[in-house]
Amino acid sequence: MTIEATQSATATPPESGTDASGAVVLEGLVKRYSGVVAVDGLSLRIEPGEFISLLGPSGCGKTTTLRMIAGFEQPDEGDIRISGRSVLGQPPYRRNVNTVFQAYALFPHMSVAENVAYGLQQHRTPRSELRERVASALELVKMRSFADRKPMQLSGGQQQRVALARALVNRPSVLLLDEPLGALDRQLREEMQLELKLLQAKLGITFVFVTHDQGEALSMSDRIAIMREGRIEQLADASTIYGRPASAYVAAFVGQQNFLRGTVADGGLAVTTPSGVVLRAGETALVGHTEGQAAVRPESVSIERADAAATRGERGSVNAASGTLLSISHQGETMQYLVEIGEATSLIVRRPTPTAPQLSAGDPVLCTWAAENVQLFPLDDAPEDAGYVPPPTA
Amino acid sequence: MNASRSPIRILASASAAPIIRRELNRRNFLALAGALGVTGALAACSPGGGETPSTEATGGPLEKELSIYTWGDYDNPDVLSAFTDELGPRITLDSFNSNEELISKLVAAKGTSGYDIVVPTGVFIPQMIENGLLQKLNRDLIPNLEHMDADYLGRAWDPNNDYSICKAWGTTGFVYDKTKITRELKTWNDFIDAAQNEASGSTSVLDDPAELTGLYFWANGIDWNTTDQGDLDAAEDFLVNTLAPHVSAFDSYPGGAAIPQGTHALMQVWNGDARIGILESPDPDRWQWVLGAPATEIWMDNWAIAAGAPNPEAAHAFIDYVLTPENQLLQVDYIGYHTGAKGIESAAEDAGLPMLDLVFFSSEQVATMHEGEVTEAQQRIVEIWNKMKAAAGA
Amino acid sequence: MRRAPGIALAIPAWAWLLIFFVAPVGMVIWFSFGYKPGIFGTHANDVLSFDRYAEAMSPTFFATFQNTLWVGIAGTLLCLLIGLPAAYWMAVKAPPSRRGLLLALVMVPFWTNFLVRTIGWQVILAPEGWASTLLQSIGMLNGPLDILYTRTAVLIGVVYNYLPLMILPLFVAFDRVGHSLREASKDLGAGRWSTFFRVTLPLARPGVIAGVLLVFIPLMGDYITATVLGGAKGNMVGQLVASQFQTAQNWALGSAMAVLLILVIMATVAAGAVLVWLVTWPLRARQRLVLDTKEAVR
Repeated sequence: MTIEATQSATATPPESGTDASGAVVLEGLVKRYSGVVAVDGLSLRIEPGEFISLLGPSGCGKTTTLRMIAGFEQPDEGDIRISGRSVLGQPPYRRNVNTVFQAYALFPHMSVAENVAYGLQQHRTPRSELRERVASALELVKMRSFADRKPMQLSGGQQQRVALARALVNRPSVLLLDEPLGALDRQLREEMQLELKLLQAKLGITFVFVTHDQGEALSMSDRIAIMREGRIEQLADASTIYGRPASAYVAAFVGQQNFLRGTVADGGLAVTTPSGVVLRAGETALVGHTEGQAAVRPESVSIERADAAATRGERGSVNAASGTLLSISHQGETMQYLVEIGEATSLIVRRPTPTAPQLSAGDPVLCTWAAENVQLFPLDDAPEDAGYVPPPTA
Repeated sequence: MNASRSPIRILASASAAPIIRRELNRRNFLALAGALGVTGALAACSPGGGETPSTEATGGPLEKELSIYTWGDYDNPDVLSAFTDELGPRITLDSFNSNEELISKLVAAKGTSGYDIVVPTGVFIPQMIENGLLQKLNRDLIPNLEHMDADYLGRAWDPNNDYSICKAWGTTGFVYDKTKITRELKTWNDFIDAAQNEASGSTSVLDDPAELTGLYFWANGIDWNTTDQGDLDAAEDFLVNTLAPHVSAFDSYPGGAAIPQGTHALMQVWNGDARIGILESPDPDRWQWVLGAPATEIWMDNWAIAAGAPNPEAAHAFIDYVLTPENQLLQVDYIGYHTGAKGIESAAEDAGLPMLDLVFFSSEQVATMHEGEVTEAQQRIVEIWNKMKAAAGA
Repeated sequence: MRRAPGIALAIPAWAWLLIFFVAPVGMVIWFSFGYKPGIFGTHANDVLSFDRYAEAMSPTFFATFQNTLWVGIAGTLLCLLIGLPAAYWMAVKAPPSRRGLLLALVMVPFWTNFLVRTIGWQVILAPEGWASTLLQSIGMLNGPLDILYTRTAVLIGVVYNYLPLMILPLFVAFDRVGHSLREASKDLGAGRWSTFFRVTLPLARPGVIAGVLLVFIPLMGDYITATVLGGAKGNMVGQLVASQFQTAQNWALGSAMAVLLILVIMATVAAGAVLVWLVTWPLRARQRLVLDTKEAVR
C-alpha cells in the first residue's frame, strides 16, 4: 500500500491512455452564462488514477468545469469524454462519476449509513452486498461507529468523511471534489489533505480536485491546472508550477513573489530596475522586449548586514541589492524581512528561523539571490491579476 | 334621475357588481363575521341594561355630525349628501348584516356605541326597547310624520310609534321562468306543485328558517307564528321529505345572480330582490313574479334612535328630512321597496319608475301579509331548516 | 434573572393566544354543557349536562357532517395535487428572478374579498354565465353548462380560494431544500422522480403538512364557498353552527356542535397522519439501514 502511495505521489502520471477507465478528456469546452464566458475553450486530458487539481481564484471557471464533468451543466461547445465515451447530454445520474460537494450536501433526514447507502440503492444493489459495501466505505473513512447518527450530529470533519464515503461507495471511475476542505479549520484541513492523498493512492481512482488554496493543490496533486479566466494558464506538477511558473500570473498565484520591473538587458537575460538593481536569470527569456519584470521568491533571497558582506568582498551589482531593513516579523518556521532597496521599491526576504541572521530595523543590509531563482516575464503579463500586491515601502 | 338608473341595471355585462353588492348587504344571509364574533355580547341582554344616559332632543341647534348604522346600501346617496348640504351635519354610514349583529353591538357598548340612527326590523324592536337600546322619539321634531301612510304606523311591536317609524317594508313571493313553466302559477300550492314537477331540481328557496316553515303554513292556511307541535311536525315532514329532494339551492338573493343568469326555473324571493333580478335580466319577459297567496309575510325595517345617541338633534332632523315626499321617492327609486309614505305609489308612477307592481300592493293584497314573531318555536324552526338543508344536499 | 428579558419577549404572544384563542375556545366548551333558557336567552350554565352533545349528534348533523368531510378531504387533496407541482416548479424550475412575480400572482386572489371572489365564480359558472356561453360557442358543449350547484362547482371554488394557502408553504419548503441536495442525489445515480420522492419531498414534509392543515382546517369550517357554489349540495357543518348562534340563538347547542367539529377535525387529521404513515411504511422499511455500530468498535 505504501509503495503504491509513493508511486502515485510522484510527479509523473501513471501509465496514460485516454480511453482507459477513469480517464477524463475535455476538448475545447466553452460555457457561457447569459453572454459572459465562464469557460473559454478549455482542453485537458486527465490520466486514469491521476490526482489533478484545478487551481485558481474565484471566477476563473474551475467550478464550472467540474460541474460540466459531473453533468450539472452542459457545455455550449466542446466535448467531454469519460473513460473513452462522450458524456455530452447525459444527466449526472448516468455518469460513472461522483462528487464530494463543498458544503457536503448530506441528506439531513437520513442517517450516516442511509446517506452512504443512497447511491447503491439507486443502482438496486442487493441488500447483503449493500450492507457490506456501506460498512466498508464507512470503515475506510473511519466513520463506522457513527453509522446511525444523523448528519446534524456530526462535526464538520466527520461530515466531510461521510460525504467522501457516500461518493466512494459507488466505486466511481472519477471522483470530483469541489473545495471539499474549505469549511474545515486549518489543522483538520491539513490532516484531511494527507488522508485524501493516501486514499486516492490506495483506491487508484481519478481525483479531480477544485480549490482556490494553492497549498492544498501543491501538497496533494500529481498535476495542477492553474486556471485564469476560463482557460488553463499552466498545467504541470507542483515543483514545475512552483519553480518554473509559465507566466507572471502563475508565479504570483502560487507562493509569494517579489516582482521588480525595469529595462531588459543582456539580450533578454536580465532586467535592470530604475534604481540600478540587476536581476539576471539563468536562461534568456525576454528576447525582443525592451522592458520586463523579474520575479524572485522571498525564500530564494539571502540577507546579511551590509558591512559583513563588504568584509567578504560582496557588493551589490548583479543579483544583489543593498538597502535598509524596514521591519522584521516572526512567522514561526520562518522570519520575514522587509527591505527597501530603492525609490518606492521593497523586497520581501524570508529565511528559515534557525538560520535567520540577527538583524534589527534600520540596519543597512545586502540581499543576494541566485540566477536560477530569477524568472523573467514580459511587462504585459500583470501579476496583479492573480492577486499580487507589491510589498509596502517606508 | 330615474332614467339614469334603469339602463345600468339592464346592462348584463356589468351584472357582477350589483349582484355582489346585494349579496353582501341586506339581511342576514351569510353572516360573514363568523358565528362567535358577530353575536358577541347578546348574552348581556338582561334586565339592568335599561338605564341609559338621557340625551333628549329638544329642537336645539343641530350637531355637526350624524352616525347611521343600517343595512348595507339601503339609502339613496343623493338624499344623504343633500341632507349634509342643506342642514350641515356630516353623515357617517356603517352597516350590519343581521339584527343580531346590530343588537349585540348596541348591548356591548351600553349606550356609548356612538351610533345615532339605527334601522332594526320590527319584530326585534320589543326586545330592544326592553333592554333599553333605543330612545324615545321626540315627535314634535318630526312634523313630516304626517306624510306617512297610517297603514304602516302603529304596528304591533311599537303601537304608538314611540320608538320607531317605518323605513321600508317588503314581502315574499316567487318568480318563475315562463319558458320552463308554461302554466300559470298563482299560489304557494302552485309553487309547491311546480317544484315537484317541471321545476324539480331547478328550484331555490330562501335561506331563512321562518320563510321555509312559512311557505308550508301560508300554503295550508296555518298561522305562521304557530307554536303548535302538530303544525310544526307536519311542516317538517313536508319540507324535509317532500320538498327538499327537489330543491337545488337555498338562495336568499336570486335577484342577484340566479334570475339574471337563468340558473333556476322557480325561486322563492323577496319582492324588491325579484324586481332587481328581473330588471337586470337580459330577457325580463321570461320571468313572472307572483305574490305569495293565499297568505304571505310582511317585514318592516324602521328608523329608530339608539339610546345614548351623541347627536339626537341631527338624528331627528335626518328622519324628518327623509320623510319629505321628494326624498321618499328618491329612496323608493334607489332601494326598490315601499317606504310607507302616503301617495308614494302615484308619485312613483308619475316619475315613471319601472315594475312598480313589485313594489306596491293593493290593500287586499296587504291584508294577506302577516308579520313574523320570535317565539319559543324558533329553535324548532331552525332545526327544521337544518334538516331540510341536509336532506336537500344528500 | 438574566433569562427574564427573553421570557418578556414572549409575553405578548402568550397573552394574545390566551385572550383570543384559549379563552374563547374555553368559553365555547363551557357553553356546550349548558342549555338555552328561554326565547330571548342564548345560554345558561346553572345545570350542566351532555344533553347538547346528544342533540348535536342527530342524523341531520351526521348527514351534513359527511358532506362537510367530503368537501374538506376532496378539496384538500385537490389543492395538494395541483399545488405540489406548481410550488415545485416555482421554487425549483422557474428562473429565480421571476419568483417574486410568480408569488405575487399566486396571491392575487387574496387581494379581493373572499365572498366577492366566490360569488364571481357563481356568475361565471351559471347556466347563462360566460363560461357556459363560451363553451357553447366553441362547440364544446351542447346546451347550457350544468355545473353550478354541484360538487364540481364546490371543488372549483375551493381550489380557487384555498390553493394559495397550499402553494405558499410548499414553495417555502421546496425553496429551502436547496438545489445542492438535489444535485447530490442525481450525482449518486437517482433520477428526477427518485430524487423528488426520496430527497425533495421528505425534506419538504413540514411544508406539505402546513399546507394540508392550512387548507383542511379552515375549509372544514367554511360554508361560504360551498353554499355559494354548491347550493343545496354545499350544506356544511359551519352553517349549522352559525344558525344555532345567530338564528336560533341557542349558544349551548351551537357550542356543542362547534366542539364536535373541532374534535372531528382533529380525529381526521390524526387518521390521515396514521394512514400516510402506514402506506409509506414498506417504503421506509426498504430504505432504512441500521448498521451494528458495536461491531466497529474493536
